[in-house]
Amino acid sequence: MNSVDALIPEPATGGRIAVAAFAGLLALASSYALSLGLRREESKVSHQQPTPEAWFETPTPSSPALIAQGRALFLSSCAHCHGADATGDEGPDLHDVGVSDRYISNIITHGIKGEMPSFRKKLGSDEILRLTAYVRSLD
Amino acid sequence: MNSEMWAKMHGATVHFPIALILCSGALDALGFLFPGLAIRRGLHTAGYWTTILGALGTVPAVVSGLVMSKGVMLGHDALRYHHLFVWPALALIVGLAVWRAFAGDFTTRKPPIGYIATLGVAAVLIMGAGYWGGEMMLGH
Repeated sequence: MNSVDALIPEPATGGRIAVAAFAGLLALASSYALSLGLRREESKVSHQQPTPEAWFETPTPSSPALIAQGRALFLSSCAHCHGADATGDEGPDLHDVGVSDRYISNIITHGIKGEMPSFRKKLGSDEILRLTAYVRSLD
Repeated sequence: MNSEMWAKMHGATVHFPIALILCSGALDALGFLFPGLAIRRGLHTAGYWTTILGALGTVPAVVSGLVMSKGVMLGHDALRYHHLFVWPALALIVGLAVWRAFAGDFTTRKPPIGYIATLGVAAVLIMGAGYWGGEMMLGH
Protein backbone atom coordinates (compact mmCIF):
# COMPACT_ATOMS: atom_id res chain seq x y z
CA MET A 1 0.00 0.00 0.00
CA ASN A 2 1.58 3.29 -1.05
CA SER A 3 1.20 6.64 0.72
CA VAL A 4 -1.73 7.70 -1.51
CA ASP A 5 -3.73 4.54 -0.76
CA ALA A 6 -3.07 5.12 2.93
CA LEU A 7 -4.88 8.47 2.84
CA ILE A 8 -7.99 8.34 4.95
CA PRO A 9 -10.80 10.87 4.60
CA GLU A 10 -10.90 13.80 6.97
CA PRO A 11 -13.61 12.99 9.52
CA ALA A 12 -16.64 15.25 9.10
CA THR A 13 -17.53 15.52 12.77
CA GLY A 14 -20.92 16.80 13.85
CA GLY A 15 -19.39 19.58 15.94
CA ARG A 16 -17.49 21.06 13.00
CA ILE A 17 -20.53 20.81 10.74
CA ALA A 18 -22.65 22.58 13.37
CA VAL A 19 -20.11 25.40 13.70
CA ALA A 20 -19.93 25.73 9.89
CA ALA A 21 -23.73 25.81 9.58
CA PHE A 22 -23.89 28.42 12.33
CA ALA A 23 -21.29 30.55 10.52
CA GLY A 24 -23.27 30.34 7.27
CA LEU A 25 -26.50 31.34 9.00
CA LEU A 26 -24.68 34.14 10.84
CA ALA A 27 -23.48 35.51 7.49
CA LEU A 28 -27.07 35.54 6.21
CA ALA A 29 -28.38 37.11 9.42
CA SER A 30 -25.70 39.82 9.26
CA SER A 31 -26.64 40.58 5.64
CA TYR A 32 -30.31 40.81 6.62
CA ALA A 33 -29.49 43.15 9.53
CA LEU A 34 -27.46 45.38 7.20
CA SER A 35 -30.34 45.32 4.71
CA LEU A 36 -32.84 46.43 7.36
CA GLY A 37 -30.56 49.25 8.52
CA LEU A 38 -30.01 50.49 4.98
CA ARG A 39 -33.72 50.42 4.19
CA ARG A 40 -34.49 52.33 7.38
CA GLU A 41 -31.92 54.98 6.50
CA GLU A 42 -33.22 55.14 2.93
CA SER A 43 -36.74 55.87 4.12
CA LYS A 44 -35.43 59.00 5.85
CA VAL A 45 -33.85 60.54 2.77
CA SER A 46 -34.63 61.38 -0.85
CA HIS A 47 -38.32 61.95 -1.63
CA GLN A 48 -39.28 61.46 2.01
CA GLN A 49 -38.01 64.95 2.74
CA PRO A 50 -40.76 67.60 3.08
CA THR A 51 -40.82 70.15 0.28
CA PRO A 52 -41.61 73.83 1.03
CA GLU A 53 -44.26 74.17 -1.70
CA ALA A 54 -46.45 71.72 0.24
CA TRP A 55 -47.05 74.51 2.78
CA PHE A 56 -48.55 76.85 0.18
CA GLU A 57 -50.13 74.61 -2.43
CA THR A 58 -53.88 73.98 -2.38
CA PRO A 59 -54.42 70.25 -1.87
CA THR A 60 -55.86 68.24 -4.74
CA PRO A 61 -59.62 67.67 -4.27
CA SER A 62 -60.24 64.29 -2.75
CA SER A 63 -63.11 62.01 -1.82
CA PRO A 64 -63.51 58.52 -0.36
CA ALA A 65 -64.37 57.21 -3.85
CA LEU A 66 -61.25 58.79 -5.38
CA ILE A 67 -59.10 57.38 -2.60
CA ALA A 68 -60.64 53.90 -3.04
CA GLN A 69 -59.93 54.03 -6.78
CA GLY A 70 -56.41 55.22 -6.02
CA ARG A 71 -55.98 52.35 -3.57
CA ALA A 72 -56.99 49.84 -6.27
CA LEU A 73 -54.45 51.37 -8.67
CA PHE A 74 -51.84 51.36 -5.93
CA LEU A 75 -52.34 47.64 -5.31
CA SER A 76 -51.93 46.80 -8.99
CA SER A 77 -49.04 49.15 -9.84
CA CYS A 78 -47.16 50.14 -6.70
CA ALA A 79 -47.73 47.62 -3.89
CA HIS A 80 -45.06 45.18 -5.08
CA CYS A 81 -42.41 47.80 -4.22
CA HIS A 82 -44.05 49.97 -1.56
CA GLY A 83 -45.92 47.13 0.21
CA ALA A 84 -49.67 46.46 0.20
CA ASP A 85 -50.13 48.81 3.16
CA ALA A 86 -47.69 51.38 1.69
CA THR A 87 -45.40 51.04 4.69
CA GLY A 88 -42.48 50.25 2.40
CA ASP A 89 -40.76 47.16 1.07
CA GLU A 90 -38.22 47.61 -1.70
CA GLY A 91 -39.50 51.17 -2.05
CA PRO A 92 -39.95 53.59 0.84
CA ASP A 93 -42.81 54.04 3.29
CA LEU A 94 -45.34 56.43 1.76
CA HIS A 95 -47.03 57.53 4.98
CA ASP A 96 -46.60 61.16 6.03
CA VAL A 97 -44.41 61.98 3.04
CA GLY A 98 -44.78 65.72 3.68
CA VAL A 99 -44.49 66.70 0.01
CA SER A 100 -46.93 68.55 -2.23
CA ASP A 101 -49.53 66.81 -4.39
CA ARG A 102 -47.75 68.13 -7.46
CA TYR A 103 -44.52 66.58 -6.23
CA ILE A 104 -46.26 63.22 -5.69
CA SER A 105 -47.81 63.22 -9.17
CA ASN A 106 -44.49 64.28 -10.70
CA ILE A 107 -42.73 61.36 -9.05
CA ILE A 108 -45.40 58.94 -10.28
CA THR A 109 -45.26 60.42 -13.77
CA HIS A 110 -41.51 60.73 -14.23
CA GLY A 111 -40.13 58.26 -11.69
CA ILE A 112 -36.77 58.67 -9.94
CA LYS A 113 -33.64 57.85 -11.88
CA GLY A 114 -32.16 54.60 -10.67
CA GLU A 115 -34.85 54.16 -8.01
CA MET A 116 -38.36 54.11 -9.43
CA PRO A 117 -39.75 53.67 -12.95
CA SER A 118 -41.81 56.30 -14.74
CA PHE A 119 -45.55 55.53 -15.00
CA ARG A 120 -46.18 58.11 -17.73
CA LYS A 121 -46.95 55.46 -20.35
CA LYS A 122 -48.83 53.12 -18.05
CA LEU A 123 -51.16 55.53 -16.25
CA GLY A 124 -53.30 58.38 -17.52
CA SER A 125 -53.57 61.75 -15.78
CA ASP A 126 -56.87 60.73 -14.12
CA GLU A 127 -55.27 57.62 -12.71
CA ILE A 128 -52.29 59.59 -11.43
CA LEU A 129 -54.73 62.00 -9.77
CA ARG A 130 -56.43 59.05 -8.00
CA LEU A 131 -53.08 57.62 -6.94
CA THR A 132 -52.03 61.02 -5.62
CA ALA A 133 -55.25 61.26 -3.63
CA TYR A 134 -54.57 57.84 -2.15
CA VAL A 135 -50.98 58.68 -1.20
CA ARG A 136 -52.19 61.98 0.28
CA SER A 137 -54.78 60.06 2.33
CA LEU A 138 -51.91 58.20 4.04
CA ASP A 139 -50.83 61.39 5.84
CA MET B 1 -20.89 57.94 -1.86
CA ASN B 2 -23.70 57.61 -4.41
CA SER B 3 -25.32 54.51 -5.91
CA GLU B 4 -23.20 54.67 -9.05
CA MET B 5 -20.01 54.59 -7.02
CA TRP B 6 -21.29 51.65 -4.98
CA ALA B 7 -22.20 49.86 -8.23
CA LYS B 8 -18.61 50.29 -9.37
CA MET B 9 -17.38 49.06 -5.99
CA HIS B 10 -19.62 46.01 -6.33
CA GLY B 11 -18.26 45.32 -9.80
CA ALA B 12 -14.71 45.72 -8.55
CA THR B 13 -15.11 43.42 -5.54
CA VAL B 14 -17.52 40.73 -6.65
CA HIS B 15 -15.21 38.97 -9.10
CA PHE B 16 -12.70 37.97 -6.42
CA PRO B 17 -14.99 35.59 -4.50
CA ILE B 18 -16.43 34.25 -7.77
CA ALA B 19 -12.98 33.44 -9.18
CA LEU B 20 -11.54 32.18 -5.88
CA ILE B 21 -14.43 29.85 -5.08
CA LEU B 22 -14.49 28.42 -8.61
CA CYS B 23 -10.72 27.86 -8.39
CA SER B 24 -11.10 26.33 -4.95
CA GLY B 25 -13.69 23.86 -6.21
CA ALA B 26 -11.56 22.92 -9.21
CA LEU B 27 -8.35 22.50 -7.19
CA ASP B 28 -9.87 20.38 -4.43
CA ALA B 29 -11.84 18.30 -6.93
CA LEU B 30 -8.65 17.58 -8.90
CA GLY B 31 -6.79 16.58 -5.74
CA PHE B 32 -9.72 14.39 -4.68
CA LEU B 33 -10.22 12.69 -8.06
CA PHE B 34 -6.51 12.14 -8.76
CA PRO B 35 -4.86 11.31 -5.44
CA GLY B 36 -1.84 9.89 -7.25
CA LEU B 37 -0.82 13.26 -8.67
CA ALA B 38 2.54 14.48 -7.44
CA ILE B 39 1.05 17.91 -6.85
CA ARG B 40 -1.93 16.62 -4.82
CA ARG B 41 -0.78 18.35 -1.66
CA GLY B 42 -0.19 21.59 -3.53
CA LEU B 43 -3.67 21.41 -5.05
CA HIS B 44 -5.31 21.03 -1.65
CA THR B 45 -3.15 23.73 -0.09
CA ALA B 46 -4.14 26.10 -2.89
CA GLY B 47 -7.76 24.94 -2.46
CA TYR B 48 -7.55 25.75 1.25
CA TRP B 49 -6.35 29.30 0.72
CA THR B 50 -8.68 30.06 -2.17
CA THR B 51 -11.63 28.92 -0.04
CA ILE B 52 -10.61 31.10 2.89
CA LEU B 53 -9.83 34.12 0.71
CA GLY B 54 -13.01 33.59 -1.33
CA ALA B 55 -15.09 33.67 1.87
CA LEU B 56 -13.29 36.83 3.03
CA GLY B 57 -13.92 38.32 -0.41
CA THR B 58 -17.67 37.91 0.03
CA VAL B 59 -17.67 40.63 2.72
CA PRO B 60 -16.92 43.66 0.47
CA ALA B 61 -18.98 42.12 -2.35
CA VAL B 62 -22.09 41.68 -0.18
CA VAL B 63 -21.73 45.02 1.60
CA SER B 64 -21.26 46.98 -1.64
CA GLY B 65 -24.15 45.08 -3.28
CA LEU B 66 -26.53 45.77 -0.41
CA VAL B 67 -25.58 49.44 -0.19
CA MET B 68 -25.89 49.78 -3.98
CA SER B 69 -29.40 48.28 -3.95
CA LYS B 70 -30.32 50.31 -0.83
CA GLY B 71 -30.79 47.23 1.32
CA VAL B 72 -32.92 45.14 -1.05
CA MET B 73 -32.56 41.45 -0.14
CA LEU B 74 -34.58 40.04 -3.05
CA GLY B 75 -36.07 42.62 -5.43
CA HIS B 76 -37.65 41.85 -8.78
CA ASP B 77 -36.79 40.32 -12.15
CA ALA B 78 -33.06 39.80 -12.73
CA LEU B 79 -32.16 41.24 -9.32
CA ARG B 80 -34.43 38.68 -7.68
CA TYR B 81 -32.84 35.79 -9.60
CA HIS B 82 -29.38 37.18 -8.74
CA HIS B 83 -30.26 37.23 -5.05
CA LEU B 84 -31.88 33.77 -5.12
CA PHE B 85 -28.43 32.45 -6.07
CA VAL B 86 -26.38 34.88 -3.95
CA TRP B 87 -27.81 34.19 -0.49
CA PRO B 88 -27.55 30.38 -0.49
CA ALA B 89 -24.09 30.73 -2.07
CA LEU B 90 -23.00 33.12 0.70
CA ALA B 91 -24.20 30.79 3.46
CA LEU B 92 -22.50 27.79 1.85
CA ILE B 93 -19.22 29.60 1.15
CA VAL B 94 -18.90 30.99 4.68
CA GLY B 95 -19.90 27.64 6.17
CA LEU B 96 -17.43 25.74 3.97
CA ALA B 97 -14.61 28.17 4.78
CA VAL B 98 -15.20 27.85 8.51
CA TRP B 99 -15.31 24.07 8.24
CA ARG B 100 -12.16 24.10 6.13
CA ALA B 101 -10.36 26.37 8.59
CA PHE B 102 -10.85 23.66 11.22
CA ALA B 103 -10.17 20.74 8.88
CA GLY B 104 -6.91 22.09 7.47
CA ASP B 105 -5.48 21.79 3.98
CA PHE B 106 -5.91 18.00 3.47
CA THR B 107 -2.21 17.39 2.87
CA THR B 108 -2.24 14.22 4.96
CA ARG B 109 -5.90 13.21 4.66
CA LYS B 110 -8.42 13.04 1.83
CA PRO B 111 -11.21 15.62 1.82
CA PRO B 112 -14.63 14.10 2.58
CA ILE B 113 -16.74 13.67 -0.54
CA GLY B 114 -19.48 15.69 1.15
CA TYR B 115 -17.16 18.68 1.31
CA ILE B 116 -16.26 18.39 -2.37
CA ALA B 117 -19.93 18.00 -3.32
CA THR B 118 -21.00 21.01 -1.22
CA LEU B 119 -18.16 23.07 -2.68
CA GLY B 120 -19.44 22.09 -6.13
CA VAL B 121 -22.94 23.27 -5.22
CA ALA B 122 -21.52 26.58 -3.94
CA ALA B 123 -19.55 27.00 -7.17
CA VAL B 124 -22.68 26.40 -9.27
CA LEU B 125 -24.67 28.87 -7.13
CA ILE B 126 -22.03 31.57 -7.42
CA MET B 127 -21.91 31.04 -11.19
CA GLY B 128 -25.69 31.52 -11.28
CA ALA B 129 -25.37 34.68 -9.20
CA GLY B 130 -22.67 35.96 -11.57
CA TYR B 131 -24.81 35.15 -14.61
CA TRP B 132 -27.80 37.11 -13.31
CA GLY B 133 -25.54 39.92 -12.19
CA GLY B 134 -24.27 40.11 -15.77
CA GLU B 135 -27.83 40.04 -17.08
CA MET B 136 -28.63 43.08 -14.95
CA MET B 137 -25.63 45.00 -16.22
CA LEU B 138 -25.69 43.98 -19.87
CA GLY B 139 -28.90 42.16 -20.72
CA HIS B 140 -31.48 44.67 -19.50
